[in-house]
Amino acid sequence: MEMLGIFSNIESAAGAVDGLIRAGFTEAQIDSLTSVPYPDGVLVRSERRSWFRWLALGGGLCGAAAGFGLAAGTAWLYPVQTGDKPIIALYPTAIICFEVAMLCAIIGAMAGMFLEMGLPALKKRPYDPAIAEGCIGICLSIHPGGEAVECDPGVRPEECIGGISSISAAEQRERAEEIMRAAGVLRIIGEEQP
Amino acid sequence: MSEFQESHNSNVSHNSHSTPPAKNAAHINDDLLSSLRPPTLRWYLLAFFLGAVVAWGLAAFTYQMMNGMYVTGKNRPVMWGFYITGFVFWVGLSHSGTMVSSILRLSQANWRRPILRAAEAMTVFCITVAGMFPLIHLGRNWTFFYMIPYPNQRGLWPNFRSALLWDMTAITAYIIGSSLFLYLGLLPDLAVARDRTSGWRHTMYGILAMGWRGTSHEWSVYHKASTLMAAMIIPVAVSVHSIVAWDFAVTVVPGWHSTIFPPYFVIGAILSGVAAVITLMITIRKAFHLEEYLTPLHFDNMGKLLLVISLLWSYAYFVEVQTIWYAHEPIEWEVFGFMSGKYTPQLLVMLLGNSLLPITCMCIKRLRRSIGVMLVVSLLVNVGMFIERFLIIVPSLSHKNMPFAWGSYSPSWVEISINIAALAGFALLFTLFAKFFPIMAISDVRELEARKAEVLLGRARVPSIAGEE
Amino acid sequence: MEKMTSPYKWGMVIDLDRCTGCGACVVACQAENNVGLCDKKEISEGRNMHWLRIERYWVGEYPDVRVRFLPVMCQHCHDAPCEPVCPVYASYHNPDGLNGQVYNRCVGTRYCGNNCPYAVRVFNFYQHEWPKPLDNQLSPDITVRSRGVMEKCSFCIQRIRRAKEEAKGEGRQVRDGEVQPACAQTCPAEAMVFGNLADPRSRVARLSRSPRRFQLLEHLGTHPSVFYLKGGGREHV
Repeated sequence: MEMLGIFSNIESAAGAVDGLIRAGFTEAQIDSLTSVPYPDGVLVRSERRSWFRWLALGGGLCGAAAGFGLAAGTAWLYPVQTGDKPIIALYPTAIICFEVAMLCAIIGAMAGMFLEMGLPALKKRPYDPAIAEGCIGICLSIHPGGEAVECDPGVRPEECIGGISSISAAEQRERAEEIMRAAGVLRIIGEEQP
Repeated sequence: MSEFQESHNSNVSHNSHSTPPAKNAAHINDDLLSSLRPPTLRWYLLAFFLGAVVAWGLAAFTYQMMNGMYVTGKNRPVMWGFYITGFVFWVGLSHSGTMVSSILRLSQANWRRPILRAAEAMTVFCITVAGMFPLIHLGRNWTFFYMIPYPNQRGLWPNFRSALLWDMTAITAYIIGSSLFLYLGLLPDLAVARDRTSGWRHTMYGILAMGWRGTSHEWSVYHKASTLMAAMIIPVAVSVHSIVAWDFAVTVVPGWHSTIFPPYFVIGAILSGVAAVITLMITIRKAFHLEEYLTPLHFDNMGKLLLVISLLWSYAYFVEVQTIWYAHEPIEWEVFGFMSGKYTPQLLVMLLGNSLLPITCMCIKRLRRSIGVMLVVSLLVNVGMFIERFLIIVPSLSHKNMPFAWGSYSPSWVEISINIAALAGFALLFTLFAKFFPIMAISDVRELEARKAEVLLGRARVPSIAGEE
Repeated sequence: MEKMTSPYKWGMVIDLDRCTGCGACVVACQAENNVGLCDKKEISEGRNMHWLRIERYWVGEYPDVRVRFLPVMCQHCHDAPCEPVCPVYASYHNPDGLNGQVYNRCVGTRYCGNNCPYAVRVFNFYQHEWPKPLDNQLSPDITVRSRGVMEKCSFCIQRIRRAKEEAKGEGRQVRDGEVQPACAQTCPAEAMVFGNLADPRSRVARLSRSPRRFQLLEHLGTHPSVFYLKGGGREHV
């Protein structure tokens, strides 16, 4: 269950985040929605290591292999003598390898980026067009009860649950709304109303 | 909604106590997305005019296809002419996006922000236009697919030892790479456009924005991806124009066979690209009334860039010519003599436009900040660059090794029409793009505004920008 | 340098001291190879289709002027600059050392034409037609090239093919002098000698070792198969 509070400026949003953390939510449960990037830690801290670059590297390697196959492989399969050039010529092969490798690395980087972002989003998640106008959205995912799990390095971020999880989801939500209102929220959007 | 924006307006200028106050988000959005407003009659007229020129070019191309290559000015020995000149020229122009966007992104130059979208879009459209020239120039255009590598019933793959295949691979890579780079930059702006529109535009932007919400995680990945893409697109751009240079440098044609060609071509490409970005900046500034965002500061910085690149170009040109002059190898010298003799006015315009004028004007701050001067200089640079490409290609072919087979070349109306149509086609693509997509990088501009603050240093208030690292 | 995969390496020797510049070779070539007929306009535009041209140079000052002729056709280079630049292998090297041109592969980039230092490649700018009854003289052994295609001297490859096939049928190699391209066959001064350079005893191989021999644009390192002879005591200038 997710709820989204819309704040008019960064100070009030940061105040709300502080309040939520003090109330027992973890940083991993809170996400900020902004139309402008803020440096990490201005609102929330996301210390996840990104892995999409490996996809770029993988793409590059596949591309290099594909380029080699194109330039050297096809020449070897269909050898036609031209000039005094060898059938598998070093420089042309290197050039084609480079180009195809870069192309695939770029495609890999883009694909990896979208995969890691989880885009395109399959289900609708709370959002407000006002965010585009400079408002800050603070998105809180509420875990419906259960035991608190510390956000240790071995724990996946979405699995760690703050101490507040001992109380029911509805109560959690009420408390979060209170905190957000105190921080000067403009409005709160639940999951029901996208 | 509007009521909400009002309340927001009063809150946003919290940390700027000085003049001018930081522009608030909604205001910037309004300004920068003004280009997306429903088109005016003038826009339709412009689009129609450009479309008509493109249609004329298509008619000329059809005429050429129906009749044969004799409708061009080409002959033996000058088998390449205006089409290849156009090709090299447009590939050169496409280096703007990489130069202005990637290099400045990597060097974290904040003034790049309002320029980068136009530069990136220009890259995509220029390379698209460039990619058409080699196909137009084929003797049998309808068999162009012989050059595409795929398993085929002809039992023959294309010859990757040919520089033309390197060209094709590199240009394919660059078209796809630069389109993705443009799309990457557009992503957050598409989300903004999505949130501000309704109807079919909302649907279109919604699909293209892929559900972007701007979470901290999305932004952090996005930044890493932008840096990585910028770093990867630069070597591709350098390789693209190096390969275009190799089309000439790997031959045995006097005046073409020169080791300096790849770096020289890359420098020339960046020179024309930077100049074209300046021209485009002036156009956009005027057309969309973005005087507040494209300030003399931006022109000043672009002018400095132009100065550096122009100096580099002059250096490269001097190096090339003086080597040939000193060695005095008879055939090469003949080519140069023919070039400077037959094409003296063009040569002078080229030297003026690419070297003399930018170097002298761009040294003076007042001229760099003058929009009129920048327009003239940037246009002349590109006129000079077109001539430069022409003077590389045609004189060498005219006076090759066998004196008996010397010739000359003058473009026919078909070639001129197609070159003009290419320019119009580029302008049309850009006009359409500017109407359908945010032409200014909203998020980038607003990021700067959000991070801007004035700090007290001694007795003065100095602007400061909160950084990432 | 070149890999020998065939017992033949076709070559030609042209004795410039014998050449009278009569142009019979040009006509013979035109007739043999279905070379397009060009009108005045085409030729004045520099779009003539001659696979073989006679270059004429004036030497000396008036009144002591001499004329020198230089028949130039495809030099069938072993390191041919035209071959590797073709993106579709239309220009390739055949095992006999010939510089082949496959017309139906050609897409018409004209890159080969630019990179040929001898400027002997001709491009079909026009769609050529043979008005009746000239169409009756078209050779059935070779294709008629359409517009947009590059073509050039093939050393009359159709004759070479036929000779090789006949020789193969008889279980022998092609004999010296058995095959001649149209130009060499027609030359009244016998300035052109064609044959197998790989056979050191062939007439062409012996002549190619003459001290009078030279090659066109030798410094480019293209290793042409055509040798020229000049200067044998009759050189005045």
